[in-house]
Amino acid sequence: MLHKDPIAHAVAAALLTLFAAGCTATGPQKPEDAKPAQAAPAKPDYTKMTPRELAEYLVFQSGSYDLAQPTQEGTTGRDRLTQDEVQKVCTEVARSGKDIDDKTAERINKLSMATIKYPEGGIKLGDWRKGRDIAWSGFGFRTAHNVDDHSRGAPGGNCYNCHQIGPDRTGGTIGPSLTGYGKIRGSSPEMLKYTYEVIYNPHAYFACTQMPRSGAKGLLTQQQILDVMAYLFDPESPVNK
Amino acid sequence: MTKLKQALSALPLALALVGNASASKAPEDILDELIAKTKNDPYLTQSPQNRMMMPDNPAYEWAAEGEKLFKQPRGPKNASLEKCDFGKGPGVLKGAYVELPRYFADTGRVMDFESRLVHCMKTLQGFTDNDPQIKVRHGEKSDIMKITTYVAMQSNGMPWNPPMNHPLEKAMRDAGRELFFRRAGPMDFNCATCHLNPPGTRIRASVLPNVKIGEEWTKAVSWPAWRVGHEAVRSSQHRVLECLWQMRYPNIMPDSDVHIAIISFWTDAARGQPAILPDMKR
Repeated sequence: MLHKDPIAHAVAAALLTLFAAGCTATGPQKPEDAKPAQAAPAKPDYTKMTPRELAEYLVFQSGSYDLAQPTQEGTTGRDRLTQDEVQKVCTEVARSGKDIDDKTAERINKLSMATIKYPEGGIKLGDWRKGRDIAWSGFGFRTAHNVDDHSRGAPGGNCYNCHQIGPDRTGGTIGPSLTGYGKIRGSSPEMLKYTYEVIYNPHAYFACTQMPRSGAKGLLTQQQILDVMAYLFDPESPVNK
Repeated sequence: MTKLKQALSALPLALALVGNASASKAPEDILDELIAKTKNDPYLTQSPQNRMMMPDNPAYEWAAEGEKLFKQPRGPKNASLEKCDFGKGPGVLKGAYVELPRYFADTGRVMDFESRLVHCMKTLQGFTDNDPQIKVRHGEKSDIMKITTYVAMQSNGMPWNPPMNHPLEKAMRDAGRELFFRRAGPMDFNCATCHLNPPGTRIRASVLPNVKIGEEWTKAVSWPAWRVGHEAVRSSQHRVLECLWQMRYPNIMPDSDVHIAIISFWTDAARGQPAILPDMKR
């Protein structure tokens, strides 16, 4: 069945591309990654590559990025740019300009659901005040020319960038408004579980959504997610006033 | 006081440059026309304050300094930049900026404005990578930023028209499109996360430009622009860097091919729309 799936096919092609591009290089780049672009080794003929091959070459072998740059999570810039399965599939969906097909969506939902880890003590709402701070904060995990120092404070959730949440601060509109979240939906165990899962890994329900996988990618801790949930559900939270 | 003096001394140059532009239109006139044409597009109209400040854009001061730097013999070879070829022949500045990035036979490479300027500063003037003249890319101590503003202004009002005659120009534009959609980083972002949403979509309070709406996109890619929040004129490469920082990507090297591919794609996406140079942004 897999080779009848055009997206799986495209992904397989992309993987082959990556592999092929890897063979044309002079070898794995390590410290020399940090040198200016001009210092990159002799270039292959870009016009002989497909656009996708060239894009992958530019990311990993043209000396464009500081691939050796350390990250807050203890990896490197190279790891940040290396796509996982969900990113590869969702990239192809984005490039196609079409909606994701049902079968691929189902596969993404399934493998995303499998990443979700639940709090040992069960899903209990945290502190809505802390949750508000997390929802407001865009701090964390930025590197490039201005590295976020996580010893200065915990990374935020970036929620407000895309969502209107409380009535007291202007939020973005890339995602739906969450104002009145708990008041509208109630706080049944099923609703709490669903919300936890959506924050942890939204692709479990919305394949190839724009929303980050805050739990699955280690951007927020389980406790931080429970605090953000308190902000959404607590009757005392401004979200529900 | 010195700021005011600088502004006043920059004024004749600003006027002269505006007078030279294709239809003698100021950047704010071009913006106004786009606003009228789109019946008050939400991205174009998001900051009436910025629109009001455009005639007094501090970028004009930077351009005045840039003109001096451009014409002054400098560097180990004691040469000016007046023989620099930005694609329309040595010394031709008018209209050059809107026809970049393009392929240059002398380097065998597709180059954006900034990488081409650096090439000229090295080959004509003898500067090297370690000289502050080359190294300092951003901020009010950056010669490159000032020269960029001076040259870019001479394409104000002209339609973006990056050539697509050489196979490498197409290759870089097409790779740029692939990069635009490539999702990566801990937050899974690509360029489309912010730049392919319905008109009026906001990130927090900021209205985002859509790559497929030409009238929005020309303003989005009209760099150099004075960034009010930064109190500095910023370049195309700086915009790329800032986006990648927000996307949690690693650091990008000046003049890199990723820059040039992305800028090739984004300039092509604004094709035919008038450049607003210099612009003023949030």
